Amino acid sequence: MILSIAWKNFYRQGIRAFLNVLVTALTMIALIFMLSLLNGFQVQATRNMSSTDMAGGQYRVPDFDILTPTEWEDRTFSVPDKLHALPSNKKAEVLIQQGQLFPNRRLYPVQLRGMDIDQSLLELPLSGLKAHGPQLDDVIPVVVGNRMAQKAHLEKGSTVVLKWRDRNNVVDARNVLVVDVADFINPRVDEGVVWVRLDHLRKMTVRPSEVSWVAVSDFEGPVDGMEFHTVEMLMADLLALLKQDRRNSRILWAILMFLAGTSVFNTQILNIFKRQREIGTLMALGMEANKVVRVFVLEGSLAAFGAVILALVLGIPFFMWFQSVGLDVSHLSASTMPVRERVFLDIQFFEVVSSVSLVIVLMIFVAWWPVKKISHLDPTMALRGRGIT
Amino acid sequence: MKNPLIQLNGITKVFRVGGEDFSALHEINLSIEPKSFMSFVGPSGSGKTTLLNLIGGLDTPTSGDIKFGDESLGDMSPDQRALYRRENIGFVFQSYNLLPVYNIYENILFPFLLANLKESAVRDRVMSIIEQVGLMPQINKRPSELSGGQCQRVAIARALVKEPRLVLADEPTANLDKENSYQILELMLDLNKKFGAAFIFSTHDEKVTKFVRREVGLEDGYVKWDKRRNGVGDFE
Repeated sequence: MILSIAWKNFYRQGIRAFLNVLVTALTMIALIFMLSLLNGFQVQATRNMSSTDMAGGQYRVPDFDILTPTEWEDRTFSVPDKLHALPSNKKAEVLIQQGQLFPNRRLYPVQLRGMDIDQSLLELPLSGLKAHGPQLDDVIPVVVGNRMAQKAHLEKGSTVVLKWRDRNNVVDARNVLVVDVADFINPRVDEGVVWVRLDHLRKMTVRPSEVSWVAVSDFEGPVDGMEFHTVEMLMADLLALLKQDRRNSRILWAILMFLAGTSVFNTQILNIFKRQREIGTLMALGMEANKVVRVFVLEGSLAAFGAVILALVLGIPFFMWFQSVGLDVSHLSASTMPVRERVFLDIQFFEVVSSVSLVIVLMIFVAWWPVKKISHLDPTMALRGRGIT
Repeated sequence: MKNPLIQLNGITKVFRVGGEDFSALHEINLSIEPKSFMSFVGPSGSGKTTLLNLIGGLDTPTSGDIKFGDESLGDMSPDQRALYRRENIGFVFQSYNLLPVYNIYENILFPFLLANLKESAVRDRVMSIIEQVGLMPQINKRPSELSGGQCQRVAIARALVKEPRLVLADEPTANLDKENSYQILELMLDLNKKFGAAFIFSTHDEKVTKFVRREVGLEDGYVKWDKRRNGVGDFE
């Protein structure tokens, strides 16, 4: 009987019920969208970092710090056999050295990054270097990223003077030829970085078989004299940034949730306020207070259930469409966030369930609380419309 | 005198309005017989509706006791009062108070649903009373599609369909024109005779006076007169 009354009350309200359900469904979609977009941003940032730089971790000389260029020369090591023997899809040997570029007669400090050209562990657009052999000619082939090219006013085919220091502290200089300006998805391996073949850089700096680190797909166990840095350690600054970002997004989520909750609360309270006389009539006709409450809680539950269904009907096509186009974040390309031009959603089951549950609980609560208050007063209060004011 | 249907003993009702106490009723003592057809009359604020609400168990007195047969309303819990209303009382409100999303048939059926009776078991009774109040052509219409007189007929049918022992009607003709008022009053008088339910009106409509057999006058919460008559004619 209660369900039948609640169902009739709900669906016969027509457009009023539909608008209530629609607002709630859109609230759910907005919450899930915002959280999933942030997830997508973070997932893409960490994945891009991993696929272009960190892989599954790096073996480094203790105390090597990418942020201290003056020590790069002192923190190299000969690749241990154990790591060197790994197949090219399991490791990437990298040598980092300081250099100075002189584009347009200006000095531009750069990071010379020598990359094992046969590796297939990291996804780097270095095919331009492959065309050149291991022999070091008078003009050294290099690849730079879009951002680097833009800042240093370089383009494909540019020749520019590069100065560096070898193992014996002898300063050398030679022309480099920009064989390619490539699109790096990670700005951290683009800005200020000049990519060189590893064998070339070793010859330039007289550091045969030396590297700054070896990126590996998996932890290969302890290696004498080396420290293994996990992805988490390597991305500590990014993860801290994302964590802060996450914290901020939680605040934003809470604000959005509060606004959505206020909207749902207001709609429901207004609905109940308008229906006080109806509640009074039910009580006058002999319906017990707890049954009145149950009718309205069921109505609230039906509205919440309808909102979930409508959220699915509207949300699934919307999310599918969004996943096909993504969100344009090209304005972030000037920042150091390792994201592509478009970000896609990363929908987390737990977040969907928690957001939807919160909205549902809120809807049911605001259906329960005022009616409970009214139904425990004398029916005359409700009949006069003074149960809640 | 027959055993009273309702017995009011020293009923006082005090409301708190704007931080001050306001006495709506003072020490009311009344006996109401079964099958009565009577009214509480008086100006606005005289306590008519308050008295009706107290008899109907919609409100509780500040002091005094109301007995329905042998049962004291003061001893009842809120749920027991709900049961009392469901089983014994039919309400007719001034503004009808029909359930807006239900049609005429469903509004009149509703008291049976509250009593957990199956529709199939009571359909004939519902149809019969709809026939008696003359609303068969509008049976599937909702309250918003009806005139004031039609809504009042629905409210009366809903109040009577379960054949309660007492019908309480608060200003039942206040929103009706003269013709509709007379039709409604004649209908209630007819149903009073047919079903044997007691009818109590609160009203300040003189048209009602012509129909009732007893009139209790209220002023400022006090009973000022209590007149009776047998059949048509002046009150004694």
